[in-house]
Amino acid sequence: MSFREKSDWLSFASLCLLGIYFFEIGRGVVMGGQGGGPYYYFTLFWVLVGALLVIQVVTHTVLAMRSPRDAKMPVDERERLIHLRATPPAYFLLLVGAFLTIGTMHMGFSVWQFAHCILFVIWVAELLRYGMRLFYYRRAV
Amino acid sequence: MGDNHITNAIRRLRFEHGEMTQQALAERIGVTRQTVNAIEQGKYSPSLEVAFKISAVFGQPLEAVFHYQPDAASTGV
Repeated sequence: MSFREKSDWLSFASLCLLGIYFFEIGRGVVMGGQGGGPYYYFTLFWVLVGALLVIQVVTHTVLAMRSPRDAKMPVDERERLIHLRATPPAYFLLLVGAFLTIGTMHMGFSVWQFAHCILFVIWVAELLRYGMRLFYYRRAV
Repeated sequence: MGDNHITNAIRRLRFEHGEMTQQALAERIGVTRQTVNAIEQGKYSPSLEVAFKISAVFGQPLEAVFHYQPDAASTGV
């Protein structure tokens, strides 16, 4: 497995951490806003973003130390093709999600909910982008 | 990309060149070992530049390393 494929696995896995936040948001909506205190979501979000950053930096540093030659190698043409092919589905999802989010304006969503719909769409699109990259890496294309 | 008609003799040529490893070939042409493996298995068709570099490493003309086998439909036969 190349350095960049391992890096993408790590990014994908660490991004999944943010799912905890959206799960909590969803739980709060289901419970009618009784999910947590006033600073609960704010704190949870920044704790998870901080954890994501720390995990990314630490794991990538360890990975680069274990295989420095692979880490220094520039992206080659096949990897560039994989990155290019992985982006359109995620971009399409992002567009669809953005338009659906605009649609929520007619459903009485608050600004807070509106913002979280956008955040959720960005998160899912990023997961899809990394997922598609991993799919193409596994297919060896 | 995965379903192409380009075959190659890289595996044989590596063997004939002192059992050169995929990693050694990859380093000489500036790609990852995984890319050499994908090319060798016919799952990825390299750019002309990389194809010429591979040919140069083995000291062979391009057509001795890569072979294009068009199907009947594409040639109109």
